[in-house]
Amino acid sequence: MSDTAVRAPRQRPPRQAAARAHLRHSGWARRRDRRGAGFVVPFLAAFVLFLIVPLGYAIYSSGYTTRIIGGTTFTGLSNYTQTLTSGLFWNGVIRVVIFGAIQITIMLAIAFFFASIFDLGVVKLGRTFRAIFFIPFGVPIVVAALMWGFLLEPQYGPMTRLANAAGFSNVNFFSPGLMLPTIILIVIWEWTGYNMVILYTALKSVPRDLIEAAILDGAPLWKIILKVKLPMVRPAVVMLVFLNVIGASQLFVEPLILNNYQSGVITNYYTPTYFIFRTAIDNGQYNLAAAMAVILGLVVVLISVAALIFRRRRGEFR
Amino acid sequence: MTTTLVRKQQTSPLPERQETRRERRRRERLEEQAAMIPVKLYGLRRGTVTLLTVLAGLFAVFTLIPIAWIVINSTKTQANIFQSFGFWFARPFVFFHTFSMLFQNVDGDGTYIQWFGNTVLYAVLGGGGATVLSVLAGYGFARYRFRGSNALFYLVMAALMVPITAITLPLYLVYAKVHLINSIWGMILPSLVSPVGMYLMRTYVLVSVPRELIDAARLDGAGEVRIFLRVVLPLIVPGVMTVLLISIVAVWNNYFLPLIIFTQNHLFPLTVGMGLWSTHATTSGDNNLYPLIVMGGLVTIIPLIALFLVLQRYWRGGLLLGSMAD
Repeated sequence: MSDTAVRAPRQRPPRQAAARAHLRHSGWARRRDRRGAGFVVPFLAAFVLFLIVPLGYAIYSSGYTTRIIGGTTFTGLSNYTQTLTSGLFWNGVIRVVIFGAIQITIMLAIAFFFASIFDLGVVKLGRTFRAIFFIPFGVPIVVAALMWGFLLEPQYGPMTRLANAAGFSNVNFFSPGLMLPTIILIVIWEWTGYNMVILYTALKSVPRDLIEAAILDGAPLWKIILKVKLPMVRPAVVMLVFLNVIGASQLFVEPLILNNYQSGVITNYYTPTYFIFRTAIDNGQYNLAAAMAVILGLVVVLISVAALIFRRRRGEFR
Repeated sequence: MTTTLVRKQQTSPLPERQETRRERRRRERLEEQAAMIPVKLYGLRRGTVTLLTVLAGLFAVFTLIPIAWIVINSTKTQANIFQSFGFWFARPFVFFHTFSMLFQNVDGDGTYIQWFGNTVLYAVLGGGGATVLSVLAGYGFARYRFRGSNALFYLVMAALMVPITAITLPLYLVYAKVHLINSIWGMILPSLVSPVGMYLMRTYVLVSVPRELIDAARLDGAGEVRIFLRVVLPLIVPGVMTVLLISIVAVWNNYFLPLIIFTQNHLFPLTVGMGLWSTHATTSGDNNLYPLIVMGGLVTIIPLIALFLVLQRYWRGGLLLGSMAD
């Protein structure tokens, strides 16, 4: 009996399984399960009150329009048609899609590269590097954007000066052409370490025998990483892509702060979330903003579901 | 069964408790080394390890550039922040003067130290509360089957995809009706919901709390609450710490919600206050706000980095993965 406590549930001996089935069907077990629901109730209460109810209210209020003369009237789907036909809204959506495609790819590549070489131990000072890479996760995004704003500022920023000294003349990291790459750089700085630590933990759980077998076969290092390790941590990569897509769709703080350093480049519709913020707070069009938020949510759901179906079809994801 | 539990508690934790911190670190390092395949077995070309270390070093430099910049420039005057070379010190050294300004109300925008206190309050109540709810619910979803439990779990997971704006804007409208605008509860209560935290805890319980242990405790006649407190909780401490860290960081970072629901400066958290300073610094010219922004940024990130170092050994990033295979 003593080792069953540590053994994984799946390898349960049959007699115990039968006893458990008996437990489950007795009235005692059912009562216990209902009491188990008690553990979930506080969370669900907060979940409903502060997530479902506001979301419902957003959907409800998106059906109305408030005018200075005439008050609030029910206007059906007109806020939705206005959003869907708004070139500015889709301009922001497309910008965020481009942003996400580039940023997530580069970041996950860097994170996976470092996670795998730290995991294999082919780097000196691996522990120190892991700790350093994780630091930006503790820097609030507002502060990160402020610091990078100072560093890259067109007139005085030290990085701008270094770039000019290195021979690039009149570099402006906040010019219309470079603003998006600059934001990509900042976001990569913020999140690479976090993704790296998660991938590192996933790589640690790959059985050692697999790697030893690959070494005996004479596989080179890059093959061990890409052909043995990567397939084993694919679920982790999928999860990270999913979380990062959600994060990218809500890009907001970086444009808001950088707008203080360079006016005119960050348009009001620069990203969907920024556009929603401007529409609601500056223009007071809460109903229209609510419709935009709902549509943005649906776009994220569509992208996620499409990705899930795609992977399921390829048999990679349960 | 009973004997197993008792024996386990008596034998294993005691020697560990006597171990000093240095010994523990040394043991962990040795265990980590033992688990690794010796580097020479990979048959690497000479210089590969050096090359990879240099690459890691370059990325470490990239990571540390803003941190180094903010430390150096917290000692400078406004003129020097812009005119002197950004990566080295310049006289006069005004670190302590700027630091003392954090305790004053500058230009009527508000007092930094008050924002700091607010942030700590919101992070402790919101992040701590979110952790408690997540741990309870994660355990409930992982180890109990009740009517609709699966459906509810997937509903919570689907909610991850809802944009923050779709929650925050209506919260503002509802708050306006129930007088929660400019109330700290308007900030704290929504912070209690952390679907990611709940998901992480469920994963951690599935991996680290065997069903047999709970069944054994039940056969011994322990109640469900007692089982949770005495049997389950000690097993999931690392998971709880990870969720606590994530929840506190989430509240500490939160910008959109406080930006919308607070109109009185004395209620702001750090993020909103710093954002306000940043806007005023650019719009109203030279009111000497830049040194304050730099110093404020530095003081904002220090507590979280300190918290990381304290909680580092509990950190379980792998929590995010487990239930993908489940």
